[in-house]
Amino acid sequence: MSLDTLYTAETPEGIALSLRPAGVVPRVLAYGIDLGVRLGIYLAATLLALPFGGMGRALLLVTYFLLEWFYPVIFELTRAGATPGKRIFGLQVVMDSGLPVTPAAALTRNLLRTADFFPFLYAFGAVSMLLRRDFKRLGDLAAGTLVVYSDNVALHGELPSAAATAPARALVPREQAAIVAWAGRASRLTPARLDELAELARSVTPAQPGDATQRLLGVAQWLVGRRGGGSP
Amino acid sequence: MTPLQFESQYAPFWQELELALDRAEKKALPKKKNEPKAGNPQAKPPPLDGARLAELYRRSCEHLALAQARAYPIHLTQRLESLTQRAHRLIYRRHDYGLARLKQLVLVDFPQSVRAHRWYLLAATLLFAVPMLAAGWATWRDPGFILHLADAQQAQEFDNMYDEGARALGRSRDASTDWQMFGFYVMHNIGIGFQCFAGGLFAGIGSVFFLVFNGVQIGGVAGYLTARGHSENFYSFVVTHGAFELTAIVLAGAAGLRLGHALLAPGRHTRLEALKRAARDTIVVVYGVIGMLLVAAAIEAFWSSARWIAPGVKYGVGGACWLLVIAYLGWQGRPRTAEGAADAG
Repeated sequence: MSLDTLYTAETPEGIALSLRPAGVVPRVLAYGIDLGVRLGIYLAATLLALPFGGMGRALLLVTYFLLEWFYPVIFELTRAGATPGKRIFGLQVVMDSGLPVTPAAALTRNLLRTADFFPFLYAFGAVSMLLRRDFKRLGDLAAGTLVVYSDNVALHGELPSAAATAPARALVPREQAAIVAWAGRASRLTPARLDELAELARSVTPAQPGDATQRLLGVAQWLVGRRGGGSP
Repeated sequence: MTPLQFESQYAPFWQELELALDRAEKKALPKKKNEPKAGNPQAKPPPLDGARLAELYRRSCEHLALAQARAYPIHLTQRLESLTQRAHRLIYRRHDYGLARLKQLVLVDFPQSVRAHRWYLLAATLLFAVPMLAAGWATWRDPGFILHLADAQQAQEFDNMYDEGARALGRSRDASTDWQMFGFYVMHNIGIGFQCFAGGLFAGIGSVFFLVFNGVQIGGVAGYLTARGHSENFYSFVVTHGAFELTAIVLAGAAGLRLGHALLAPGRHTRLEALKRAARDTIVVVYGVIGMLLVAAAIEAFWSSARWIAPGVKYGVGGACWLLVIAYLGWQGRPRTAEGAADAG
């Protein structure tokens, strides 16, 4: 079982797309921001509506109702698929098939908020989120939705350039993948750590000049198909 | 084929797909239409070709599968993955919303869905009506029984609301205009409807509770007012909007019961899958509940409370509304013929 919480959604073409579900903390913070936004709108509406007497108070009550129940629905149906609070934290509501959320699902998950809130302060919702790998609250379970990070993190970049060198022995596919993945992370690791990891693969690098990192980067370049100095 | 060859061979496809996606996503977001690419000489490309987009999408799926299977460098796989993901969202998104969908919902889907849940509806009706009648009978026999349901001050307020001298029916003296009451009814009643639905998630217990609770409250007040001699004021007030409001609350409760039943007896699905299916089916009922409660709030605020309409007229219109609602839920949206049924199925 892998340690990360990637959620795999399969497309009709048989492709597995990975989504990154968001956990309790960013969602609680996003909820806090939304609460502030709703409060702000409500206060502004109060100031606007007060001079209009009964009609104004009617609008105020309707505003309150809409903010209470439909604020998240409306924002989740926009292109961003997120309320302002969620957007600040880079979150997004999607169907668990990876598709944009449908109106029916958005309504379902937000009406069932009542159940998540029960008995106080989203206790059921929080327990449900903590018990599941995909952090779904009860409303998400019923609606088949998922709150995910909208952007993917790029942990791996282009391979750094190095003179391609053949490995000293034949490598099995797993070893090849490990070396290429190591090289892809070169931009995110400190040189010392990179070197430390390269030392582990000493048996692969032929005895050539240059430090372990440079030699292993050369092997990585060789593995992705570069030969000699330049073109593939 | 090495990763480098792979990349250089297919990169043009990916770039084309990327461009197409950029354009399609921008078209859906008209605000930013002419913002980026303003300086681009190719700012006016030919219209987006759906078939080409689908082809590019399938190619990128294929490339992604290859890249994953051959353990190509992860940055390459990730680029393909995000490309495929964007295209997948674009191609499989639903776009049959709008007025036609709404018409279909009102004329066919909602009444059909209600009929599909008829046994839940029966259960919800009993859960609502039996406590209502029981509480009504109890307070009618002994008006003091109301004190089990409300405190003395509230009971006093009920009296005032339907008093002969009341300026408008069904509201306390300090609540002023029709509009304000409309706002209040929207907020309060639709909220109750939603609670009846959401309560179903706790194995249906929440829905049962809210149905029984509201039944007891309504029945208690009705019995109390009857015993106190306000029956004409009270029943002429509730008869019209009750057709929509009570029906809608019972419908919301029925939808909640369906959720609870799916969790308790999922049948041949997993509990989660059963719950998802139940939610998908019942949300159609909830759409209707929202609509009916809006209608009820408008009637309650502007028609039911009006003193200038004679009670006889209200009874007539109210009766017609009950017939209308029952006929709508019972017969609207049935296929006309057997062939129609085959088409719909």
